[in-house]
Amino acid sequence: MEKYTLIITEKPDAAQRIAETLDARGKPQRTEDRSVPFFTAQRDRQLVVVPALGHLYTLVQEHGKRSHYPVFTYKWAPRHMAEKNAKHIQTWIEVISNLATNADKFIDACDYDIEGALIGYTILKHACNDKDQTATRMKYSTLTEDELEKSYSEQMPHLDYGMIEAGRTRHEVDWLYGINLSRALTTAANRISGRYTTLSTGRVQGPALRFLVTRERSINLFVPTPYWTITAHVEINGANYPVDYQTRLFEKKADADAVVEACKGKTGIVDKIEEKTMQVSPPVPFDLGSLQTEAYSLFGYTPRRTGQIAERLYLEALISYPRTSSQKLPPAINYKMILNGLSQEPAYKSLASELLQKEDLKPKEGIKEDPAHPAVYPTGNKPTRMLEEAERRIWDLVVRRFLAVFGDAGVKQSMKAAVRVNGHYFYLRGRRVLKEGWMRFYKPYLRSEEVLLPPIKEGQTVQLASIAREDRFTKPPPRYNPSSLLKRMEAESIGTKATRADIVETLYNRRYITEERITVTDLGFDVTEVLRKHASPVISVKLTRDLEERMERIQGGMEKRETVLVEAVDRLKPVLTTMKQQETTIGQALNEAIKKASIQERIIGSCPNCHTGKLMILFSRRTRKRFIGCTNYFKNACKTSFPLPQRGTVKTTRRTCKACGWPLLFVRAVGSRPWNLCFNTACPRKEERRKRLEMQGLQQRSSNPTSEQVL
Amino acid sequence: MKCKVCSREAQTQPLSRYCELHQKAYESLLEKFEAWKKASNIEWNDYLLQVAKNQLTGIWAKEVAESLLSEQHEDAGSKRNI
Repeated sequence: MEKYTLIITEKPDAAQRIAETLDARGKPQRTEDRSVPFFTAQRDRQLVVVPALGHLYTLVQEHGKRSHYPVFTYKWAPRHMAEKNAKHIQTWIEVISNLATNADKFIDACDYDIEGALIGYTILKHACNDKDQTATRMKYSTLTEDELEKSYSEQMPHLDYGMIEAGRTRHEVDWLYGINLSRALTTAANRISGRYTTLSTGRVQGPALRFLVTRERSINLFVPTPYWTITAHVEINGANYPVDYQTRLFEKKADADAVVEACKGKTGIVDKIEEKTMQVSPPVPFDLGSLQTEAYSLFGYTPRRTGQIAERLYLEALISYPRTSSQKLPPAINYKMILNGLSQEPAYKSLASELLQKEDLKPKEGIKEDPAHPAVYPTGNKPTRMLEEAERRIWDLVVRRFLAVFGDAGVKQSMKAAVRVNGHYFYLRGRRVLKEGWMRFYKPYLRSEEVLLPPIKEGQTVQLASIAREDRFTKPPPRYNPSSLLKRMEAESIGTKATRADIVETLYNRRYITEERITVTDLGFDVTEVLRKHASPVISVKLTRDLEERMERIQGGMEKRETVLVEAVDRLKPVLTTMKQQETTIGQALNEAIKKASIQERIIGSCPNCHTGKLMILFSRRTRKRFIGCTNYFKNACKTSFPLPQRGTVKTTRRTCKACGWPLLFVRAVGSRPWNLCFNTACPRKEERRKRLEMQGLQQRSSNPTSEQVL
Repeated sequence: MKCKVCSREAQTQPLSRYCELHQKAYESLLEKFEAWKKASNIEWNDYLLQVAKNQLTGIWAKEVAESLLSEQHEDAGSKRNI
């Protein structure tokens, strides 16, 4: 059999795109072996492109029981050996191994970052019989034809071992921390409660939860203090304009009252007018974090969702690789070619054409760099299918930001007029854009609005149209949301751009936090408290940050993986010994919180009938069935109840029914698709469905007359 | 000894009627009373009432304010009975 080159990619979409580019006719042959797709492309020689499904290998404990700790021996093994829901991985690895037997050349074409490097390395090493030693590497930031062709013809002669070593270290250190600390918590809790509950923490998860707990404490301890402000308007040419009083706030009510008394109904004189013009620089290109932050604030998408959408756009060659920390756009990406591509799209035609007329295209760049990839940018390709609303929004955001960074600085003018009323000063403020510059390109996403003032001049008399005292209170610090937490993690250098969003999601899944404006649960508090008391040396932000820096040094070849691992084990050992000794105390501390959390998990929302009780998932001892009931039932105050499906698992969600606003439940049963259940029997959507089914029934009866009618 | 507000153990060093969290909330209430007194010359009881009904007050501070108010209510009741 003719030997071929085996190219390994991270995902099936990437495999297809690479095969289409590298095939001489652009039409590779798609084959499936036990549902695993691979592509055969023909050019100077035969190429077989096979995808992975993300990580096919993971770390597993080498000896001992699953619940045992401390555990410091591990090995890389196929994912199906460690995870219950990963049986398909076995077939996947078998198919790759079979394809590897007839290959005489191997190319790693996984995404060029730490995770991609590790995915490719583990497959080449374990599934392809140590071919990591001889494999070459394709490096690309977009899945466009030009770049893929270039990366194929200019392959790196070997794998990037700096990246692989950094990836291995990160996974191994995280595994050591995660498995040991989580088992210590879980074992302690189970020992007291007698019931199995998974509790987890980790090198990054611990400090992230700690940020939230610290904020929650300040909010819970907060006592507001009163202060007063003045609200006033002046009348100019028949219209009212708001003015700010010279003192922003008053600590004494009497002082604010005195100002109101002194100025009420009086006229004032425009004493002085100050005008300032300022340049507004273009924004910098998106790195993943800033894209996630912007998408959250503009569209309310969680960082994880934005990450997933961006990944899809990348796999369709619409944007560059999104998992980047870079805010740089090197000329090598070919600005003109991208702008030419964008100018084919009606929405961007005039904007892109305007930039193409510039003599010198120089993007405004930020300071952050990433050795592997540039900032996120559009490839200039047009979508080949109708994008979903969310995809279209993210693509538009990336395109407009890309255009904006090439724009000229904008010019804004601010105006401040001081109005003297009975010896007190009020300020009339306005702002307007004198030159749009880059703002024209980014218009739909600009937040500041113009405040236009009427023509006024110094010495002019104006009437104080209204003045009042406002009673106010100081506010507690704001709650984190998924986006601001991500920003904080980034600022503190904990976690990586690829893992931060998933860690936030894990905190929700572990019931440590709830709600979009994040609230820490009792369980979250108690887990943090236990870790603070017994494991503080290993969950400190400083240690996490130091480890991140050292892993970067490994990538640069300045630090050895073994040294970092030995130190991590040395730090963990005494902590785990203490935790084992204190198992009963830790278990008692966690037990109460677990009980509360499991009750909280069954609470669906307020009772729509009595309005004082809570609707909860309950079990009837008599009928042995589950149902939804009001907590006031036990006080004989409310008999509200709703039926529930008896098969499968039912979970509360954080969402409400779009038709009636009642809380939605998530139902998952073997043999049927998971679905969201609105338990409101009077939900308009149910009524619609009933009518629709009735109509369908009538239509069927009229088109299929019964045998009696035929006769 | 249990905390006056919740079921957690009361702080022993320094000795307190509250657990660590509610003790901190109590200290926060004491500290902010000075600002309230300066701002509007308010009495301790009125201050506790205002704080207890304010939506911006944190849950632990609110719990301590309510506990202090109910203690005073009980004290007044027992004096009337005497």
